[in-house]
Amino acid sequence: MDITAPTIILTLVWGVAIGCIYILLATGLNIIFGVMKLVNFAHGQLLMIGAFLTWSISVSLGLNAYAAIVVSMVVVAALGVAVERLTFRRVLGTDKLNEIFVSLGLIYIFENAAMLLWGTGSKQITSPFYGSSLSLPGISITYDRIVAVFVVIAALVAFGLLLKKTKIGLAMQATSQVSSAAMLMGINVEKIYMFTFALGAALAALAGGLYGVIFSFDFQVGAMPTIIAFAIIILGGLGSIKGAIVGGLLYGIAEQLATLFLGGIWGSAVAFALLIVVLIIKPTGLFGQKGE
Amino acid sequence: MQRKLLAIIVVVIIVVAAVAAIELTPKTPSTPSADARNIVIGLVAPLSTSIGQDMSDAAQLAAKEINDAGGIYVKDWNTNVNVSIVNVNTIDDAPSNAKTPVVQAVESEHVDMLIGGYGSAGTLANEVVAIDDKVPYIITGASNQLVTRRGPQGNYGGFGVNGANSITDSEGVSYIFHYCTTTYHYSKTVVDFFATVMKPMVAPDRNFSLAILYRNDAFGQGVDQATKYWIQNESLPITLTERNYDPTTAKTSGYQTDLTAVAASHPDAVFIVDNPDQTPLIIKQGWNEVGLKSVYIAVENNQDPTFYNLLGSTGDGQLLESKMDPFMTPSYSQVVQTYVENFNKTYPHVMPGMMGADTYDAFYIAKDAITRAGTVNKTEVRDAIENTNMNQMLIQTKTGKIQFSTGINYHEIDPVTFIEQLKWDSTNSHLTSQIVWSPSGSTNLKQANFTLPTGYQPAQ
Repeated sequence: MDITAPTIILTLVWGVAIGCIYILLATGLNIIFGVMKLVNFAHGQLLMIGAFLTWSISVSLGLNAYAAIVVSMVVVAALGVAVERLTFRRVLGTDKLNEIFVSLGLIYIFENAAMLLWGTGSKQITSPFYGSSLSLPGISITYDRIVAVFVVIAALVAFGLLLKKTKIGLAMQATSQVSSAAMLMGINVEKIYMFTFALGAALAALAGGLYGVIFSFDFQVGAMPTIIAFAIIILGGLGSIKGAIVGGLLYGIAEQLATLFLGGIWGSAVAFALLIVVLIIKPTGLFGQKGE
Repeated sequence: MQRKLLAIIVVVIIVVAAVAAIELTPKTPSTPSADARNIVIGLVAPLSTSIGQDMSDAAQLAAKEINDAGGIYVKDWNTNVNVSIVNVNTIDDAPSNAKTPVVQAVESEHVDMLIGGYGSAGTLANEVVAIDDKVPYIITGASNQLVTRRGPQGNYGGFGVNGANSITDSEGVSYIFHYCTTTYHYSKTVVDFFATVMKPMVAPDRNFSLAILYRNDAFGQGVDQATKYWIQNESLPITLTERNYDPTTAKTSGYQTDLTAVAASHPDAVFIVDNPDQTPLIIKQGWNEVGLKSVYIAVENNQDPTFYNLLGSTGDGQLLESKMDPFMTPSYSQVVQTYVENFNKTYPHVMPGMMGADTYDAFYIAKDAITRAGTVNKTEVRDAIENTNMNQMLIQTKTGKIQFSTGINYHEIDPVTFIEQLKWDSTNSHLTSQIVWSPSGSTNLKQANFTLPTGYQPAQ
């Protein structure tokens, strides 16, 4: 096998592209944890629903796949509101086990609902850029991967601005620090929780739409990305958005480079080994702080 | 005197007529045995997958046809009985999920027979239950040859008595029947095609460069081993590059990096070993993203609607090894055409796949065996299946007969396999197929010559 510079560059591109999707998922998971202190194991299932909705909207309405993703984000955000109000709100602040079991139960509910609605077969969202690539010397990258990277960058910038420049973003930050103090300052914490969950769900739907354009998916697609997203936020530091970004990129690149040099069966093993090494050296993760 | 003789003749005629009438009058059936009950067949399938659903649909169709035609006559019970199906859901066919449902079917549901089994890893795990409990099991998927050769009669699949999957219970293994192509059958078809047909076109003066990219599980490993075996055993002018991947990781993160490594080996063709939900993605990522403009070949488990739907136009010119194609119009086989029509009447808007076809046939094999055995006694049914000599059904065999013991001690059929080339029908926006090669000695099914896909780039 000839490992040339273009091969390595291409592998890094694959790592960044897949890492970007993980970042979106991890960021959504992270803000929900950061603000609500809630560990949602069913977050990957929101990605799955986002992918299916994008596919359905795209097929049934003939909408451009990327426009369909936006519609899907709105629908999944509304679903997130319903989930937060009907399930998590009832158990939030009680025993952590209650929250965990609610989220585990939601995995089965979402997966079975998806199986009933969309069947057991795999699907892939047809992109308007299908089959088109950007050709550079020695390498060629599909436009869908490039679009995915830029969409993720745009989403993260928008998310950063929302957090720092808007009233609701500041309220989210305040709630994430000490919710009782935020409440005393007049912040409607329940509304913030609802908004946070909807935002996290919308990011998961965005990740699902982008994922479904690049990969095929079925009703069980959410499980592994959830595990990876958890690994990424632990690697980057619980509650840290910067950590999720760096962790996602590190994970994606480590996985793809290990696949190239050691073989496909080593991708996840090396990526998780990296996670363990980071935790040994810095138990709070790369950008985590004590007490989080 | 004459009157007396006449009277005697009349009496004799009356007696003979009476006896004949008694003999010819339909007898009132004697009472069916109180033991009579439905025959319970466990359908072993990953029901949460599209292939599992296809197997289930085909099984239900076969059972309905059998029951509508009067069921199965069981001599011991002196009556016809219906077939009932117990779903044995192996979830995703992971070994950890595939065994327990079979234990439940055998020990709680008391199934008379098992039919199905898709994934090799899961089936190797769950067939142990049938082996231990001596339950006839007609395996209609799971192409790893070990499923029937892991016992003494198969020389432990060549791995010796202490092999990881070896089983010493010769009697138990005799309850296992493989109504499916094995990895050895179709890997031979694949390498013979490349050596015979494609090598002269692209590599007349050098070895043909074949890359095999396979999922690292019992299925993928089985195909890889068989491919290497045939290249070596037949001294084929093929240089093989092997690469595998973890199916769980790759399903989530993609195949692009493995394909990039495959491209670096400059293959003339790429042999993909995965399931219909992933194989199209691998081919699309290879062709569209990595720029590996090669000939890709998939094996017959991909003869499924999911494969055709997901692959789309990228499939134009690519290859599929098969033993039964329900998607070809007009069909190469009237029997297959009729099956597709009947399937569509029962399940409108659902296309049947090949795995379901194996399962469908297996129900008729079960019916034939139980009828001949005249009992549901498992040992006698096992013996009856072993002596099956039915006409071929949806799966064509080299002898035209369904036979499980053709000069071998383990139970495998000898199916006809062939290579199809896919064509994109841009008018109707779907993939079609044509048979471009079938091995010598088989029925000549060839419909067209193989041509290199548009855009094919030869190895450099």
